[in-house]
Formats: sequence, structure tokens, C-alpha cells
Amino acid sequence: MGNQLLAVRNLKKYFPVKAGPFSGKSLILKAVDGVNMDIMKGETIGLVGESGCGKTTVGRCMLRLYEPDEGRIFIDPEKHTKAINIVEEFDAKRFALEDKIHSIEREIAGPKVLRKEIRSLLKQVHELKLKARQAGRRTDILSMGRDDMSKARKRLQMVFQDPWASLNPMMLVKDIIGEGPKEFGTHKGAALDKWVNELLDKVGLPRAASNRYPHEFSGGQRQRIGIARALSLTPSIIVCDEPVSALDVSIQAQVINLLIELQDDLDLTYIFIAHDLSVVQYVSDRISVMYLGKMVENANAKQLYKNPRHPYTISLMSSVPVADPEHKSEEIILEGDVPSPVSPPPGCTFHPRCRYAIDICRKEIPVLEKDKDGHVIACHNPPND
Amino acid sequence: MSNVLLEIQNLRTYFHMHGYTVRAVDGVDLQVMEGENVGIVGESGCGKSQTAMSIMRLVPDPPGEIIDGDILLRGKSLLKLKEEEMRKVRGNDISMIFQEPMTSLNPVFTVGYQISEGLMLHRDMSKNEAIKESIRLLKMVGISDPEERVKEYPFQLSGGLRQRVMIAMAMACEPAVMIADEPTTALDVSIQAQILRLMRDLQQKKNTATMFITHDLAVIASFTQRVMVMYAGVVVEMASVNDIFKKPLHPYTHGLLTSIPVLGDSKYRDDGSRRLLYTIPGTLPDPKRIIKGCRFTSRCPKVMKKCYEAEPELVFTEKDHKVRCYLYSDTVRETPAYLDVPVRGLSKKQKKQAKKDKIRG
Repeated sequence: MGNQLLAVRNLKKYFPVKAGPFSGKSLILKAVDGVNMDIMKGETIGLVGESGCGKTTVGRCMLRLYEPDEGRIFIDPEKHTKAINIVEEFDAKRFALEDKIHSIEREIAGPKVLRKEIRSLLKQVHELKLKARQAGRRTDILSMGRDDMSKARKRLQMVFQDPWASLNPMMLVKDIIGEGPKEFGTHKGAALDKWVNELLDKVGLPRAASNRYPHEFSGGQRQRIGIARALSLTPSIIVCDEPVSALDVSIQAQVINLLIELQDDLDLTYIFIAHDLSVVQYVSDRISVMYLGKMVENANAKQLYKNPRHPYTISLMSSVPVADPEHKSEEIILEGDVPSPVSPPPGCTFHPRCRYAIDICRKEIPVLEKDKDGHVIACHNPPND
Repeated sequence: MSNVLLEIQNLRTYFHMHGYTVRAVDGVDLQVMEGENVGIVGESGCGKSQTAMSIMRLVPDPPGEIIDGDILLRGKSLLKLKEEEMRKVRGNDISMIFQEPMTSLNPVFTVGYQISEGLMLHRDMSKNEAIKESIRLLKMVGISDPEERVKEYPFQLSGGLRQRVMIAMAMACEPAVMIADEPTTALDVSIQAQILRLMRDLQQKKNTATMFITHDLAVIASFTQRVMVMYAGVVVEMASVNDIFKKPLHPYTHGLLTSIPVLGDSKYRDDGSRRLLYTIPGTLPDPKRIIKGCRFTSRCPKVMKKCYEAEPELVFTEKDHKVRCYLYSDTVRETPAYLDVPVRGLSKKQKKQAKKDKIRG
């Protein structure tokens, strides 16, 4: 621990969606709306939330599997403080300009002069974007060029959710695992075979597996193949997107143990995305709770369990069923569903389901605030205060 | 509470595939009392869903076939009914909530139509009456403005709402038995809690017997009175919910219980060192293979020589506690001796006893 590996700043990813099956109009779905994260070396960050809260999108943006609309992801931020400062300066300027454009647009909708003004402002915005991209090309994953990006790709890998869909059925296991090293030229020929065997040993599969096809394996074994593939380029960060939720209970524990053991052996950093709170709680050092594209709480795992502070986290925790028939839970059951991220409620997005909602919650968006223990929440009226 | 409502006797459902037979359900016995909640736990492929499908007579034939056993509802055999008579039972006496609310509703009919279908068929309602009743049912399962919702199609509803519609459909004719096959598996925890609370309320109000099929032990703990644990087509343990969680006997049950992290667990011990989860090694046996001895031998930490020779019987160790394991064939003990990993929720006294047993063993 100690040094920082990734710094995610103001990450936003919007998807255009059609307003209706026959409508030409498109709406914007704010899947991720301004997420900040700091990831230290060797730790496991848990990302939890209900389906549709944007946790998978965050993970995919980190590998640039989705191209985010806004934000920076700095790799090794401590080595590049200077560049980061420059980028952030440019960005701050750009945000100011964009705000100005919005305010002008809101006021008027017509005169030619003003349109011209907007046009020149837009040009400036574009220039600032390019400048920031140039400054951040060594450290910001999102503005890297081809060469830097391929270097970064080696360090960032992913384990996918569905072990049935994420392995190419036409490829042999050794080709699946060896594809990365071959592409990057890290291992060739006999060395590659040896490396694949080593990886198979590491994830607890027989070496004979290398000459078989994915369909010959069970779910747990497939997930092991997926993990071996992620390890093949000796990455430092692995994004695990629901790695165990498609697996049976008894296999789940095997895969979780494997992930933990590999982390100790290879000094890995995990971003662990899952909706199962007890699993996330078990593997994570720190946990971020997301709701409708925003982070609502961020704390270390123990704190979050002992003393959840955001009303959303509290009710989420209380609705996890306990494997004890005598357990009398005081379930704080959330009413209703997650609102549509296309038209999120104004103010705090959680207020329609929140029992502590007060007037301000309906108007203003709460910001993340840190308390003295490093426990961060975004709430106007946290309970027990 | 005391009358036997549904009885499964030695049920065997096999699937005849090309060149081999899969014994999906291989001799299951179960009695469900009136108003009782029974849980069936097991991993995918253990036969729990096929047991439910057999009760509903929905096993696809071919390749599936119920080759032996009987299913009695109030003493009347369901397997001997003609298909038309069986249709009167489905949805009326026994109804089912299917696993995936996304795929088990018909996408081309409105929700209202799908609920009223059963009402018109079984309770001779006119279309208008049935729609009115559907609105009442939707209200009962906690859907807001049901008058609007009845006209909507499944794709317009979220997962939680669809599952509520499924429950409304299942409850429509006030069945005596409701079979819920993984009703909450595809849902988020918050929605899961809503659905479970709803099912519990309805169950108590109408005194419906429920068979709750799931792989999630925690859900079972909060919902059922009796639990049946299945492995590779057979029942390996059956007991009251308290017994299953406080003193599981079969090594498989024990493994299942200890391999799930409980909220609040951490991969660190108190002194900061790493802790790993208890695991059941290996995977389910290949369903094609016919295993001579106990089916759990390949994964069992307590396997003995005789386990390979013949399959153990499902025996009582105590009142209402049945287990299929040679460890208990001679003696009935307070707690199993193989408690290497303490099971959560044991009382202090039981823990002490377990420790003693361990030293002795």
C-alpha cells in the first residue's frame, strides 16, 4: 500500500437512448455522472449498488472499453503531478467556459450575434480540450495515444461477469490465455506455452486444459480461465466485474479464495464490482456505494459495515438476508424501484425513496463530504447526527 | 397445519438423452403440510427445479420422463390425471412462480390479460370481472396505480414489478400450494427484500403452503420452516430450519453454510493476517455417470471406505432430522464431530461440545 495507482476524476459516461420505440427523439441516460476515485497499490476497492447504478460502466470506462464523455483517469498520478496539474488547470478553464455557454443558451434562443459568441466560445473549449489531452497523454488513460495506451492496457485487465459469454468458443484455452502475450510480444513459441502452463497452475487448472475448448469446462473452471487470461500480461490492476455472481455457492467460495491468494502472491490491485454486499464486504478494503450514476458513500469495509451513514447504504445493508433463522432483522425496506436514470429526480437522486428526506434534498444535489474518520458520504441529512 | 397437503413419494425424473440417461431427480420423498413453508436448497443441476416441474407435470416429455414414484395432492395422485384434469390443477390448486420474471411472462399480452386468463379458466369469471379482480390482485401485491398497470405489457415493467405480477398471477386462484422457483435470484437485494416480505404477508394471510426453491441459504433462513437439501438428484438432509442452520449434519450442508461470507466478514483476521473462505473442493459429479456409492464422495472431507461401496440411506438421526450419510448410521449425536470450522450461530454450549467432539474424534 502507500502509493497511488489510479486517480479517477469527474468521470462521466452518457448513453443516448431513444425516447420510444418509434420516436426519433433521443434522450440522455446518465450512466455515470461525476465519479471520483483514488486507488492505492495492493488494495481492493469494492463497488456496490443496485443494477443500473453504473458500477459496471465505471469499470469498463477504466479500461476504455467505453469512451467516457468527460473526466480523467490518471495512471501513476504520483509520478506525473506536474502534468496532472496542467491538465486540471485546462479543464477548470474549460468548465468555466462551458458554464458560460450554458448560461447564454438559457437566456436567449435566437440573435445571430450571440450565436457567433457561442461559436467562438466553443472553439476555445475545443482548443482547451486538445491542450489538456496533449498535456495528459502520458498519464491520463482517456487521452493516451496508441502507444501509451497499449502500455497501459498491459497494466489494466478485466475479469468479466459471465464466464459463458466472455470466452470465445472457437478458440483453444491456450490461445485464449496466450492471445495477449502473443499480441504484445512478451512471450513467443515455447516460452509462450510454458507461460500458459504456469498461468494454468496459478489458477488451479490442469495443464491438459490448454488444448481444450471452453465448452468442455464448468462455470467455475471457465471463470478460472478468464482469470488466467487477465493475468497473462502481469497486470497491476484487475477490474473484476461481478466475477462470482454467475457461479454456484460452493464454486463462488473457491473463486473468491483464488482471487485473494493471487492478490497476495502477485501484489495485485482489484476493483471488485458486485451487487452481493456480503461478498464485496468480504474481499474489499474500501467500498464505494453507487446510486444512479453517483457515488453516495465511500468508506473502508469495516467502517461501512459497522457504521453505514448514508440512508441508502443503511437500507441496503438491512435488506441483506442473514443465514440465521433466529435473526430478527429490522429491515428498512426501500420502497419502489430505482428511478430511471434517463430522468433522475431533481436534487438528491435518492430522495423519493429516502425516509430522512427534507426540503433541501428535493432541490440541491448533495456533494461528497469527508468526516474525521475518512468516511465520505453525499447526504444533506444523514441519520444519527 | 397438521394435514398433509402434498406428498411426493420416491419421485424419479430421468432424462433420456442420446446414449445416456440423466437422473435429474432420483428418489425424492417430501411431505408438505397445510400452510407450511418448505425450502429446497441445492446447487444448479441438483434436481430441485426438476422436482418442482415434476409436481406441475411440466417436465418436457421426451426427453424427460417421470419413471417412478407418485405425487399426491390431498391424497389424490397427480400423475394419474389426464392432461385436461391436470390443467384444472395447474394455477388453481398448485401454482408456480418461475425463476426469471423477464422471460416467463408473455411479451405480447398485457399484464391484465395474463392474470385474468387463469381467473376466467378456473373461476368462470367474465372478462370484465376478471380484469377487475386482476386490478385487486395487483393492488394486493403492492403495485401503485393498478388500473393503469393492467393495460401495460411486461417490457414496460421493471424486474421487481414483473416479479410482483408473477406473484399476483400465482395467487390469483388462491392455490393451496405455491411453488416458488428462485423467485428472487435475478433481483437486487432491496427488491428481493420487498418481494420476500410480500410473499410472507400473503402466505400468512391466505395460509398457502409454499415450496421455496433457491440456492441462497440466507433467503431460506428468513422464509421457511423446514428445509430439504438436495445434491445430485437426491435429498441429503432434511430438517427444521433451526436444525439445518444450528447443527447441520451432512458434510455438504455444512460446506454450503460455511462457504458463504456473511455480511461483516472480512478477508482479514483480527490480527491482520489473511483468512480464506471454507470451500467444498471440486464440482458436482457428471450427471451422465452412475455413481455406485454416496454421490458426494468426490468432494467430501469425511469420506470413508464404505462410502464408495453403497449409497447410504436417508435416516433419522433425531425426530424430524433426516440425513443421508454414514457418519450417522450408528450413533445419534448432539453435534457432528467433524466441525473443523465452527458454524456461525452455534450457542456457546454447542461450540464447546463441538470442540470436545473434535478432540475426541
